[in-house]
Parts: sequence; structure tokens; C-alpha cells
Amino acid sequence: MRRTVAFVVGAVLLVPMQALAEREKAPDGSRAYIMWPSDGAVIPGGKLWVRMGLQNVGVAPAGTRKEGTGHHHLLVNSELANMEEPIPNNKNHLHFGGGQTEVRLELPPGRHTLQMVLGDAEHVPHDPPIMSKKITVVVP
Amino acid sequence: MKLWTAALPAIAALAFCAGTAVAQTQTDQSHTDHQPKPGVIAAPEADPNNQTQLQNSPKGQRMPGNKEAYLYIGWPNNGEVVNSRFKVWFGLRNFGVAPAGVRKEKTGHHHLLVDTDLKNLDEPIPTDKNHLHFGKGQTETYLELPPGRHTLQLVLADDEHIPHDPPIMSKKITITVRPEKAGAQISSR
Repeated sequence: MRRTVAFVVGAVLLVPMQALAEREKAPDGSRAYIMWPSDGAVIPGGKLWVRMGLQNVGVAPAGTRKEGTGHHHLLVNSELANMEEPIPNNKNHLHFGGGQTEVRLELPPGRHTLQMVLGDAEHVPHDPPIMSKKITVVVP
Repeated sequence: MKLWTAALPAIAALAFCAGTAVAQTQTDQSHTDHQPKPGVIAAPEADPNNQTQLQNSPKGQRMPGNKEAYLYIGWPNNGEVVNSRFKVWFGLRNFGVAPAGVRKEKTGHHHLLVDTDLKNLDEPIPTDKNHLHFGKGQTETYLELPPGRHTLQLVLADDEHIPHDPPIMSKKITITVRPEKAGAQISSR
């Protein structure tokens, strides 16, 4: 019985420590922003290049663990629910693991939201997360 | 004695978890290792802080560029009149950014040429006040230049600061830094 207790206590103590250690610290003054399009922009045809801007933090491809860097993710019509886990990879969560800083989007008519999040080598947001303001674009 | 045997599994758990952590770190590092490409001799492990090692790397190893890659200065525009301190935004399409020392295909890091041209594309880009390096993977910077006309040009270079083949360079733009006095009267865009 005592053996089991000791094992459980050991395991419980270690697991959260490991999980916490995985999130990279955000550098001081780091900021992410969508340089283009501007909030409220009207995009006839729905085809656009999104320019992703970063201040006081650098870009590194996915899988590259280096302090003060991360790679871009773009949330399209979506929000990030969990900051502790890797950002999902689907059509609403675009990954730029090659270190890209711009992306060509083709959006259907309607209102769309865009938000940028930097993720570390393993796609987990920094602590605190480096996220842009969420903007809205309109495709007539 | 009984206590000791009870603590054993906990110690074992500790050791196991620590082992996993070490293994993870090693995997992470392996990602940054150079991926030898066909026909290209693997470069020695590049340490961004070790300049001598970088200079000793053999020539003829320029990383392949990409005809689709497009490097441009997103701000300021060509011909723009700016205050002495201004932001420069680096635009890059169909290619990626990686910090200096990280060798990965289809990536590089930005260099900004101020009032200069790049003469030799086979050698590492020099580091001085006319050749600014952004080895941390930065995608923008603030410049402070004296009043007058200045030229700006971006060049992408690989993990060892050598331009790609063919080189990925922006158009060279000319800007004018307005005199300090006028700066207060004319608002910038």
C-alpha cells in the first residue's frame, strides 16, 4: 500500500513539472501583428496575401528549438482554446513550419476573422502567448 | 528498511521521467542538425557564435534558392521620405526564415544592405554598419540614418551567411531621410 502511494505521489509531482517546462518563455517586448490586411479591409475576389509581423522575436522553422524564436500560425475563423497544447493543424489553423512570414489566402464571400499566434518548436504557444489582435476582413 | 523499499518505485519513476526529458531534448536538437542533401557535402555543425568555424567551411556549398522566392522591402516604399528613425519591414514569399546556424532547405535569414552593394555572392556577407545581419530570424527592424539619400536592399542568406544560388535579393530602393527640423512639421504616413 505504502509502495503504491509513494509511486503515485512521485508520478503526480513530476508530470505537471514536465508539462510546464515545455512552454517557451516569450521574450520581453515581443509582439505579433497582422501587417496586412488591415482590420475591416474589404477584399474583392477574396484572394489576398497576409503579411505576418513580429517585433522583438524571431522566426525559426518548426522543430527548431531556439530561444527568442517561434513559427507563425494563422487562425482563420477560429479561436485558440488551449494554450498548453500544440496548435491543431487543419483548415482553420494554418501552420507555417517552413518559417514563412506571408501566406496567400483565398476566402469565400462573407466575413472572416484572422488571428496570428506564434508557436514554439512543437507548435505550443509561448508563455505568455505571442498573439496578434483578431481582425475581420470582408469578401463581398 | 520497509520505508526504503516503499520509496524505491518513486525513485524509479523519477529516473524514468528524467530519462524521458533527456531523450526529448536530444530529439529536439536533432531537428536542428544539418540535413545532408544529395550532391551537397554536409557542412560542419554550425555554431552561430563561432565565426572561425563558419569561415573555415569549404566553398561551393551555396544552398539552392527558389525561382518562386520573392524578397522585397515591404516598408518603406521606393522613393519614400522618412524621419531619421524608421521601420523597415522585410517581405518574403515562397520561402522561409530560419535563424543563423540553422540549416534547412528553403529557408534563410535576412540581411539588409545600407548604402552598399553585395560584391561577392560566394562568400559570407560581411558584418559591419552597411551589412546588417538578422541572425535571430527577425523580420523587421528600426533603422536610424543621417539626413539625405540612402539605398536599402535585402539579401537572404543561408545558415552560414552565404547567399543562395541563385541569390534571393530584393530590388534596391532609395529613400530620403528628411532633416531633423522638418521632421516635426511634416507628418509621416
